[in-house]
Amino acid sequence: MAEHPNKPALSDSDPSLQLGSIADRAVNGLAALGVVALVTAGVLGLSAHDHGRHFMFAYLVAFAWVLSIGLGALWWVTLQHLVNARWSIVVRRLGELLAANAPILALLALPLVIPTLLGNHELFPWVDHELMHSNHVLHKKAGYLNVGFFTVRMALYFGFWSWWSRHLLARSVSQDKNTATLGLLERVRGASAPGMIAMAFTITFAAIDLLMSLDPLWFSTIYGVYYFAGCVIAVHAVMVLFTLWFQSKGRLTAVTREHFHDLGKMLFAFTVFWAYIAFSQFMLIWYANIPEETGFFMERIHGNWLHVSYFLIVGHFVLPFFGLLSRHVKRHRVGLAFWSVWMLVVHYVDLHWLIMPNYQHEHASFGLLELTCWVGLASLLAAATLRRAKGKNLVPVGDARLSASMAFENV
Amino acid sequence: MSDSSGVSNQEPSLPSGDVPLFGVLAEYSTPQQLLAASRVVRDAGYTRWDTYTPFPVHGIDGAMGIRPTILPWIVLGAGLTGVAAGVALQWATNAFDYRWIVSGKPFWSIPANIPITFELMVLFSALTALVGMLVLNGLPHPSHPLDLKQRFLRVTDDKFFLVIQADDPSFKLEMARELLAGTSPVVVETVDEDRVTSDRLPRPLVLGLMLLVVAAAVPFGLAAKARASTSREPRFHVVPDMDFQPKMKADRANPLFDDQRATRAQVDGTVAAGELHENTAFWTGRVDGVLVTSFPEESPTSEAAVTRGRERFGVYCAPCHGLVGRGDGMVSKRAELLAEGTWTPPSDLQQDYIRTMPVGQLFETITNGVRTMPAYGPQIPAADRWNIVLYVRALQRSRATSSSDLPASQRDSLK
Amino acid sequence: MTLLTAVNPYQGAPKGDNPYARITDNVARIAEAERPPVGWYIAFAISTSLLAMFFANIGYLVWNGIGVWGNNIPVAWAFGIVNFVFWVGIGHAGTLISAILYLLRQGWRTSINRFAEAMTIFAVMCAGVFPGIHIGRPWLPYWMLPIPNQMQMWPQFRSPLEWDIFAVGTYATVSLLFWYMGMMPDLATFRDRSRTPIRKFAYGLFAMGWRGSSRQWHRYEKAYLLLAALATPLVLSVHSVVSFDFATSQLPGWHTTIFPPYFVAGAIFGGFAMVTTLAVPSRQFFGLKRIISLDHIELMNKVILATGMMVGYAYGMEFFVAWYSGNEYEQFTFVNRAFGNYAWAYWTMIFCNVVTPQVFWMKRMRRNLWVTFAVGVLVNIGMWFERFVIIVTSLTRDFLPSSWGNFRPTIVDYMTLAGSFGLFFTLFLLFCRYLPMVAMAEVKLSLPNSHEH
Repeated sequence: MAEHPNKPALSDSDPSLQLGSIADRAVNGLAALGVVALVTAGVLGLSAHDHGRHFMFAYLVAFAWVLSIGLGALWWVTLQHLVNARWSIVVRRLGELLAANAPILALLALPLVIPTLLGNHELFPWVDHELMHSNHVLHKKAGYLNVGFFTVRMALYFGFWSWWSRHLLARSVSQDKNTATLGLLERVRGASAPGMIAMAFTITFAAIDLLMSLDPLWFSTIYGVYYFAGCVIAVHAVMVLFTLWFQSKGRLTAVTREHFHDLGKMLFAFTVFWAYIAFSQFMLIWYANIPEETGFFMERIHGNWLHVSYFLIVGHFVLPFFGLLSRHVKRHRVGLAFWSVWMLVVHYVDLHWLIMPNYQHEHASFGLLELTCWVGLASLLAAATLRRAKGKNLVPVGDARLSASMAFENV
Repeated sequence: MSDSSGVSNQEPSLPSGDVPLFGVLAEYSTPQQLLAASRVVRDAGYTRWDTYTPFPVHGIDGAMGIRPTILPWIVLGAGLTGVAAGVALQWATNAFDYRWIVSGKPFWSIPANIPITFELMVLFSALTALVGMLVLNGLPHPSHPLDLKQRFLRVTDDKFFLVIQADDPSFKLEMARELLAGTSPVVVETVDEDRVTSDRLPRPLVLGLMLLVVAAAVPFGLAAKARASTSREPRFHVVPDMDFQPKMKADRANPLFDDQRATRAQVDGTVAAGELHENTAFWTGRVDGVLVTSFPEESPTSEAAVTRGRERFGVYCAPCHGLVGRGDGMVSKRAELLAEGTWTPPSDLQQDYIRTMPVGQLFETITNGVRTMPAYGPQIPAADRWNIVLYVRALQRSRATSSSDLPASQRDSLK
Repeated sequence: MTLLTAVNPYQGAPKGDNPYARITDNVARIAEAERPPVGWYIAFAISTSLLAMFFANIGYLVWNGIGVWGNNIPVAWAFGIVNFVFWVGIGHAGTLISAILYLLRQGWRTSINRFAEAMTIFAVMCAGVFPGIHIGRPWLPYWMLPIPNQMQMWPQFRSPLEWDIFAVGTYATVSLLFWYMGMMPDLATFRDRSRTPIRKFAYGLFAMGWRGSSRQWHRYEKAYLLLAALATPLVLSVHSVVSFDFATSQLPGWHTTIFPPYFVAGAIFGGFAMVTTLAVPSRQFFGLKRIISLDHIELMNKVILATGMMVGYAYGMEFFVAWYSGNEYEQFTFVNRAFGNYAWAYWTMIFCNVVTPQVFWMKRMRRNLWVTFAVGVLVNIGMWFERFVIIVTSLTRDFLPSSWGNFRPTIVDYMTLAGSFGLFFTLFLLFCRYLPMVAMAEVKLSLPNSHEH
């Protein structure tokens, strides 16, 4: 794309730049909703008298969902810096704000980590010493799957994510005030390459620790990539929805149809990528038919999990594939909004399908507990994002390439 | 004829008497000038006109008012056709016409069919994208009046051209020329229809092509002749295919031994290790030369034996005798389709004379073969042969039961 | 007869500093030169000698049978399949550059995409030879196609080897279409600059009467976009299918779910390395330094670094999960790779694929042509050894120690491998000599003043 130096970038006083008062009510409302929902979930969970088993599983699904948005955003911002992308600058701040939820996600991980630390093995069977030492395969894994090392790893992941996301946001915001700091951006770019490597490893191992180890006997080398595909889908959908919402309030008007088109293309591309990874994993396990691997899919083709599996093929791939194929849909606000919501919902179903068969064999269900956990975590993080956005520009006005980004056109 | 006066010629040549006018040509040196000119021509209401550029100038679609092509829809249709073709091909060949068990996978294995379905989708779409583009663009288009313009040769290099065709309904030479002159062109010229070049292929080329076609038919002719005639000559070995191997076959002569026999007989009075078969009922199906009518002690009847027999039957017998023993196995069906004439169909195991055979005879038949059926003794252990016999009995029984065989309670439920 | 007389529209015309004309000149000059540079002749002589050796060895193989190779039981897949996977992998960068970078709007691709695509096609041709001569009776490869035949049998579509036929066949076809379609406007340029009737006819035949009409460009660009969009998943699918050949089995070291994306990343990695290996000398010999600039070389080196890291990630994951699985056969396989009797091959692979690209963290190294060339060559060696390690070490040591064995290649193996480079380079050199090496129309399009302001 050619530079367009004659087009003015956004000025600091532009009213569309700041959320201002529209954030306040939303923040309060969402935070209240989140707290109420989570408290309800907690009460429901405690009253079940199952050592918190149902609660922890339901909470983990919702947590994996919000985590995927945060990690997707962090990965996405890192990528934009790494490849020096110009088109995305107008939406980069939104990504930075979403990514910066990492410390809050660390706090929200505590309801999962603390019971595990206390020796509750309802969620992670490998917490159970007896099981680990009575099984001839599992006892070999005890060096990795143990409470101490798990906690250390969690601290490392969330520590890195928190530091890296805050670093990216802080650098970007400080540039807003001082446009002459092009060198600042160069340094971020330089750091984004090792940052990307660290992202690859932390996302992979977080997926293994939080999700794959729910069934400590099962393993798949592609698992990290599978979760990663979901993260990228989720973050693009969330960015589309936030942008559309802000625009309905007259904010973030710098984002044009062209940017929506690109976000839609990414959503489409990673929907296909998800299908590719999911198919690769399924086909290889199905074909080789080795009992220690097929267990994973046996769980998911029995009982009404089979219907969920079929739904994922259609809902997570076939429908959005045809839905997002057309250029007109990607450039259409309602069309794109619909598919973003759709992808976020099926992404939740996907995570539910990954996690819940370990809770309940042969019987897929979605109840009040699942709903309250999901609503609770989603609203809390939305509130946190909006609160963080308050007082900051919604667009990185200090970026020298902003005008090029605003004038960007798909060819 | 066409102008040959070089680039500096600003005066367009007038159409000469009998050569009709193709249109008016204007040349520009930058894409921006061309875009501006295109808007002027578009707004003037012309429909039969075009611009020619060395690369796709962006924005020209809008400037010329070109509507989006339907090519993507055609390609989508081709892609869906590819999917259908992929599914149909694999279903018809592996799940319908030639069902064969491979590595325990179902005949109709959808996960295993996805790669090829996907590839055919891409193949069909890609071919359609190229061919569709060519067809919609009217290519190949070997000859064009503009080819006669020397300056037009630079259209594929660095110059930009606009042509208003004479067959436009509102075309008037002077008006068109005036319109174009107002768009700051390098030059405006008229273009004549091509009455110079011939659209016939050169004669040597045509002859060469005809020769090739004739030559290409020769091998097919020879093959057809060979098929329609008989010959006493041995087969023509283009590829030896291991037809001649330096090894001894069972009934051939071997000069190494006095008796010239390749197959060596056992030394009298010896028994190979593990080959002392004293219980002849089990090993041969006969006791004192008489066929046994009940299963030997070593191979008692049981459900496990039937199950084993069924599995072995599926491996060794079903290819010819069919899964229920009606003599309709895949090999037999194929052989009958080929109608070679030498094929002896396998027996229908449900025939009465086979039903009444002593089990010893069934065992012996499996062991030593009969008619064209080879001996399976060397391949199938004796216990498994007995299990197969048992399963054959079960098959026969399954096809000749009456309701009186059922327990009373179940018989009632049928009524 | 103006059409077929030698007309030079450039004679006497002032060219000035028209950037479009300069690009045309720069590229077309190579094919229009009376004779190519001396280096071309030397390279061509070497390549055709290797090619002759290739044909001789294939002839020897066909005459005598597979026994002339070092293949044995348990290593029934040896050089034949290693070379096949290696060449298919090389063939991935071309379409990646043409299609994926096109979709990602990476304008810099225009300088290198044409010859990267050519490279793709020649590499796929080299790849296609190996399964053909590996099947034992190379005169019967059509048995793999669903053709009604006298045996009344159909191919076995549940077999990954059958998927290969379709994947590689489709890939070869679509790459060819993509390459040819991209070349049509440039062939038209060559046609219009031709000074002899034969050239005019030959280029004109393949240019199909392209005259740059905007109405045609409109559909052309749409078709190009569609082909790019189709080629992108195709390029992923091809090496994924190749990886299925291994990963659907139950052999430790072959069966692992990360194989499809891991193979794709490796293919892109190796393919880009081949592009830089070829680009460095080509731009030197043919005076394309301004079109294939140091910036382009640097960007390609960054891609090599990035994909090298992805390959490293896959190596790491394989090792980790082999340990994590608790499966002793998996664990043994990986320990055996690193410390067994083919450890030298494993560490060659690690050194070439993971260690050497690390020099590209330094900008100075990314812009150094000698380093670029050396890393390109080393990565190609490393990628060949990657396939060797996967195929040979896993086969020599499987579940039962009683069926262990070793593999020792024969001289015919080596000569066939070397000969395949002869085929590749002969075709590549002919392409450089006679066809537009750079996508002129696309480079012109990517010039800054080709757009409306």
